[in-house]
Amino acid sequence: MSLLRVERLSKTFGAIRAVDSISFEVRPGEIYGLLGPNGAGKTTTISMISGLLKPDAGEVFVASAAFWSDPQKAKSIMGVVPQEIAIYEELSGRENLEFWGRMAGLGPRDAKARAAELLEALTLIDRAKDAVKTYSGGMKRRINLGCALLHRPQLLLLDEPTVGIDPQARLNILEFIRSLRASGTAILYTTHYLEEAETLCQRIGIIDNGRVLAEGTLSELQERLGGDRVFVLEADFKGSSPDAWDGFHNRFRVIQKSEKQLVVAAIGARDPSECLKDLLGLPVHVENVTLKRPSLNDVFLQLTGRELRE
Amino acid sequence: MLRVLLAKDLRRAWRNPLPWLINLIVPLAMTALIGMVFGGKSDSGALGRIRFAVVDEDKSVLSDVLRGSANQREGGKYLEPVFLEREDALRQLNASKLSAVLIIPEHFMRDYLTAREAVSLELIKNPAESIHPAVLEELLGAVVTALNAISRNFNSEFPEWQEVFEGKEDYHKVSMLIERAGEKLKTAKKLIDPPLVTYEKEDSGGTPQGEEASAGKANGGDSNHAAGKTAGGKSGKSKQDDSTNVFAYLLLGLAAMFLLFLGNNAMTDLHRELRKGTFERYQTMHQRLGPFIVGKVVFAVVVLLLCSAIMLGGGGLIFRVHWQHPVPLISLAFGYAVFVAGLFAVLVALVPDERRSAVLTNVAGMALGLVGGCAFPPQQLPAFLRDHLTPLMPSNWFVETARNLQFSSENVLWTLVLLKLAVTGVVLIAMAAFLFRRRFKAGLRA
Repeated sequence: MSLLRVERLSKTFGAIRAVDSISFEVRPGEIYGLLGPNGAGKTTTISMISGLLKPDAGEVFVASAAFWSDPQKAKSIMGVVPQEIAIYEELSGRENLEFWGRMAGLGPRDAKARAAELLEALTLIDRAKDAVKTYSGGMKRRINLGCALLHRPQLLLLDEPTVGIDPQARLNILEFIRSLRASGTAILYTTHYLEEAETLCQRIGIIDNGRVLAEGTLSELQERLGGDRVFVLEADFKGSSPDAWDGFHNRFRVIQKSEKQLVVAAIGARDPSECLKDLLGLPVHVENVTLKRPSLNDVFLQLTGRELRE
Repeated sequence: MLRVLLAKDLRRAWRNPLPWLINLIVPLAMTALIGMVFGGKSDSGALGRIRFAVVDEDKSVLSDVLRGSANQREGGKYLEPVFLEREDALRQLNASKLSAVLIIPEHFMRDYLTAREAVSLELIKNPAESIHPAVLEELLGAVVTALNAISRNFNSEFPEWQEVFEGKEDYHKVSMLIERAGEKLKTAKKLIDPPLVTYEKEDSGGTPQGEEASAGKANGGDSNHAAGKTAGGKSGKSKQDDSTNVFAYLLLGLAAMFLLFLGNNAMTDLHRELRKGTFERYQTMHQRLGPFIVGKVVFAVVVLLLCSAIMLGGGGLIFRVHWQHPVPLISLAFGYAVFVAGLFAVLVALVPDERRSAVLTNVAGMALGLVGGCAFPPQQLPAFLRDHLTPLMPSNWFVETARNLQFSSENVLWTLVLLKLAVTGVVLIAMAAFLFRRRFKAGLRA
């Protein structure tokens, strides 16, 4: 049974369709990654799931109940970590945690105890009494994350929680998120970092221009490219087109083509050496051929025609 | 929840006190500055004794009389003459140690008694002060009028008086001169006593006080009776002191003005919460936004009450103002705080854009303070504002009632004003709630 189910969710701002009929679900103990570039519709989706925006169409179900039938109940089940650091800079880390704990419905004692617990888990106990404005970016991110966890939510919505921090701080946060998953929390994780989605998420939805283009586990998405390897050919492709090469489209799927590079995947279960011989026999002067495992970027490239890093 | 929200906001204000401190210190500093310019300081907090120099270049009997009269009896309470040479007096005037310098020129007595040529007394006023030099000018005008009256009535005997002053007449002649002067004064007495017009000074219980009161009573029904106002209060002495306390007058107005700015700062914190995302985080936990907004209104009211206490209490101690009616004053401050919080809640709800809202709220606060007569006495405002707009301003309701409580002996209906302020505030808060509800109907991010 899924803890979060999103069905054909849509939102339009004026002439811009920010989210276009999105559907997915997140199960307990699972990290579902919503991967897409900036402006793809990730934050708008999270805003609708958390009640910050009313959808134009579609429905959100939290623990099998429609969100808008009892929004307060749905909100008590979930914790939301916004992309911006939404904490009080004048207050200390402990005061922030205790305050948001009280807002989440904990009593003074429980809020205090839970704040101490989280400060320990987030390795911030030494700086607990210092004002947040004196914290580093990574520490602020950790407090920002902690403020959503006071009431032990079953469903956690994380909107790009590692934006703008150094690699070490990112690793710490990702490790903490893995520990939350291990405790059974269902996590919706939006990101535009390929590596995070690849290493952290059990299932990934690739989103662009408000639509989920593909969804599945990493291997399922790689499978879409026709196996676990792609060939990158470097040559002068100016004036020549794969369309003109005899039977090429029956043997290979073109993932990307530029003047200097051609990325292809073999169709069907073929031997790599045979594929390599085939590619070297093409009517162009090939300077280099690389064989690699397809990445999410390749999947995104195939789906959108552009790289996620662009 | 309101208590938790209030504690959070008070803690934040305590950790970032600069915006609050500025708005607390500026009215106190302005009160001190303007008060000094208009009246200088004194131990009692009232206008104080007027220090001025007398430069006697005549050194005659008449100039001695003028010098001596300057600090005798009643004059001694209010005047503090010092007798200096011209250069020293001017030096002290330039150093703002004197309010004015009175120069009695050489041959003043001779010219006055012989009427050889027009005589004049010279008064040099301190341009850095306003009220004290003006008072001295008025007093000198009275002295000149008296000298003219004496000259007109006793002109024929001046040559003999001059000889007396020069020591040329014997005691027999002097006694005859005094007797003749006494006869003339007896004839004039029925024309000047009792006076045709007098005034009576009353305390809050309506009991006449002092010599003027006695004169009025003696006059009975024959005189036109004009009663002057004094401050109402418990102690007659402090009342008299505070009736002229320019600091109390200024402090009430400037406190009212800066409470508007403080209220603006407190309520526009909602914009900061929106910008920082903390308001959104709250909405991810609670569907109803009302408690968060009401929490901010409560915060604004509490902060305004604290700031009122600091400004009026602290200012009262600094400027030695004895607040005549502290309980009504605190109650009025509460009503005013509710109004200010409501006003800025509406403005914040009305304009979602933070920058535009900042412009609007600042201008609104400034306009309400100025038109309400907080910065200037309402009587000095242009006629249209004074007659048509000022009475409609809640800031004016507050500041005028507070001033009347402090300075007027009449029964001030402060409870009615408190009710008006509180009701206006509550109506504005309800309007703000409606506007916020409409604005956030589709969610905070809509």
